[in-house]
Amino acid sequence: MARETAIRTEDLSKTFGSTKALVSLNLEVPRGEVIGYLGPNGAGKTTTIRLLLGLIRATSGRAAIFGIDCEQEPVEAHRRLAYVPGEATLWPSLTGTETLHLLGRVQGKVDLAYRDVLLERFDFDPSKKVRAYSKGTRQKLILIAALMTRADLLVLDEPTSGLDPLMEQAFRECVAESRERGQTVFLSSHILSEVEALCDRVAILRAGHLVEVGTLDEMRHLSALQVEADFDGTVPDLSGVAGVTGVVVDGKRVRCQVTGSVEPLLTVLARAGVSHLVSRAPSLEELFLALYGADGVEAPSDAPA
Amino acid sequence: MRRRKEKEIYDDRTASQVVVRSTAKRASRPGALWGYVFGATIAATVYTYPKTFPTVASREALASFSTNAAWAALFGPLYRLDTVAGYTAYKTGMFVMILGAIWGLLIATKLTRGEEDAGRWELFLAGHTTRRRAARDAAIGLGAGVVALWVPTALIAAVGGALSKTDVSVVALVYFATALVSAAVLFMAIGLLCAQLAPNRHDADLTGAAILAGSYLIRMMADSDASLSWLRWLSPLGWVEQLRPLTGSHWFAFVPIVALILVLVGVSVRIAGTRDLGTSAFAVRDEPRSRTLLLGGQAGLTLRLARPAIAAWVAALAATGFVFGLVAQTAGSALERSPTLDKIITRLGGTASGAVSYLGFVFVVAAGLVAIAVAGQVAATRNEEASGHLDNLLVRPVARWRWLGVRLLVGLGLVVVAGLFAGLAAWVGAATQHADLGIGQLVKAGLNVVPPAIFVLGVGGLAFGVWPRGAIGVAYGLVVWSFLAETIAAVVNSNHWLLDTSPLTHMAPVPASNPNWTAAAWLVGLGLVASLAGLAAFGRRDVVEA
Repeated sequence: MARETAIRTEDLSKTFGSTKALVSLNLEVPRGEVIGYLGPNGAGKTTTIRLLLGLIRATSGRAAIFGIDCEQEPVEAHRRLAYVPGEATLWPSLTGTETLHLLGRVQGKVDLAYRDVLLERFDFDPSKKVRAYSKGTRQKLILIAALMTRADLLVLDEPTSGLDPLMEQAFRECVAESRERGQTVFLSSHILSEVEALCDRVAILRAGHLVEVGTLDEMRHLSALQVEADFDGTVPDLSGVAGVTGVVVDGKRVRCQVTGSVEPLLTVLARAGVSHLVSRAPSLEELFLALYGADGVEAPSDAPA
Repeated sequence: MRRRKEKEIYDDRTASQVVVRSTAKRASRPGALWGYVFGATIAATVYTYPKTFPTVASREALASFSTNAAWAALFGPLYRLDTVAGYTAYKTGMFVMILGAIWGLLIATKLTRGEEDAGRWELFLAGHTTRRRAARDAAIGLGAGVVALWVPTALIAAVGGALSKTDVSVVALVYFATALVSAAVLFMAIGLLCAQLAPNRHDADLTGAAILAGSYLIRMMADSDASLSWLRWLSPLGWVEQLRPLTGSHWFAFVPIVALILVLVGVSVRIAGTRDLGTSAFAVRDEPRSRTLLLGGQAGLTLRLARPAIAAWVAALAATGFVFGLVAQTAGSALERSPTLDKIITRLGGTASGAVSYLGFVFVVAAGLVAIAVAGQVAATRNEEASGHLDNLLVRPVARWRWLGVRLLVGLGLVVVAGLFAGLAAWVGAATQHADLGIGQLVKAGLNVVPPAIFVLGVGGLAFGVWPRGAIGVAYGLVVWSFLAETIAAVVNSNHWLLDTSPLTHMAPVPASNPNWTAAAWLVGLGLVASLAGLAAFGRRDVVEA
């Protein structure tokens, strides 16, 4: 059987008034993949998700879930997915039990045994009214409500906001299980370690534009390698070497970044007599900061004098 | 470049000013709006009295039911009904008093506990202030709302009185306005206290509403039997009655009114200083037994969420209908002697007289109440979306048109049941007075209120579909406009264009006449078309949160 596409967007765009929240997004997520969706605040992550859910209408382009158009047949699309928002706004007068019962019935499909596992794993007491729960506890409730459906696609919008580290761990366990079961996971998150640990691929959004998609390894090739070298003798001048940037000399130690081929640098280093050499692939956080740090943050146009 | 000099240091005084100003701003706009409505109501009544009761005989006939206990139970003690002042006090006093009290209660809980529940109060408290001082500042801000309510009420009433060339003095009208506004302030203070005692705004509103209902019932007993009149001193609404505005001016009743307001505000501010934020002053149970009976789907959920409102409105309409039936006999005989009211009934298409005429006339009030109930359902619909609660359903396999359709059907059910109960209760009330009214006649009168409400529901549903942020305003605005159009039409004669825009004027005065089937069909048809358009539009728009 050919691998079905879980999510496909074609030139998906959304404009609010004069703000272009999302510009011509083309993204394809194969079935069974765990994809991380990254971007700074206001980059268009939640807009993308609300478009996928059919809560808002695309200005142009289209989106489909398992081949079902998100706008034309939202009900059919929703049978295949479960969604967790970053902030749980639930009916305050219902209890946890009532909420789970209602949301399960509305979805029409619940794995009751797994629900009990989840209640245990997230240490959740469903007997209280929603208004009596803390923010983190409400988040647990809405996570359980989504995960217990065992939907083919999990759409998660900063799902762990407000969870403590123990619960964060429980959440990672659930995503790992979902992956093993062949479920697709679309994870929008700010917690880069979470994305790094869970995701097969990462898509990075900036100001409504998709700027990068790929596996972490692929992305690392695009970004700089961190190199740290100690010398016995004189420290050579590395600033002119092809691909080398950010040279910092600290006594007999040099730190720098290399983009592209490392060969020119190695040649220079070999000649200069290196005593100790450490190179490290950039973490997702470094990738992220590299993408946004330089030109990602717009300078305020009306800076105080 | 720095455009203006920013104040760099924030101290306790600026923190207080921020709370006072933000509360005052949000209290005075609706306050002024209600002030215009109250002032216009009073002015219109003073103005129309000589036209409605032009002869001494008609005024004496009206005065003859000053002694009617059922009438007094409903509107308060009646004095000197043969004068403009006495008539105005009877016609507008209780109406303005109750509406003012409801507004005072709701605005006080909204701007204190509502802000706290929404988490915005914390932002103030994180600044240079304390819980106690912030509560005091909010009370001061609400005071600005009282001023905003009082000024237009008194001003428009006084100007209307002066222009009417009647013998009622400007001073008396200002005193009247002050007395009525004092009811709003009393319940504002009660609202402040409830907001401190209850675990959330919703419960604070319910507690305050129960106190209001209790006050009304106590004064109802006091006014219906002279031997029980001492009971009036046990009810805040009774105190306002004791002020005898326009009919004697017993200002000493201001003493308990002002004293209670000061005590309630003082106690509220004190409790605010000692209570933990976001909690009740008492321990509450948040672990009720889970009841999943209705929660099998979105339709059941809608019913469950609407249940308290449905129960309250059906009870209110039944009570109103019962009182209508109770006083129909006596009121009808007085009505027969007023040529103008008779003329109005005839204009509306009525032919009967007496009790039947009276009921035909007052069932418009029931229609208005049902229309308010329906506007409340439109508001509840929009609030589900604005709060983000609706997202939980729409991200699951729930079609938008189905959800909105169920919402509108619940509104329709509320209208039909409330109308039916109003009619049945009116029959029961009339039967206790041995009035000769058939049950079929009154059920018909009850169901006659349904078409205008369906129209309001349809227009509200359409507004929700195309302009979600304006839907609540459109629905309530249409109801308020209907009342205003009735009032204005009473002053400005024969302006059909104006009257035609109000759904209430298209109602035939059943049981005084037969239902106007053509008009009813139009109202229902337009309501239905608007609803369908609303369903279609909702399916094509973005979900918009607050």
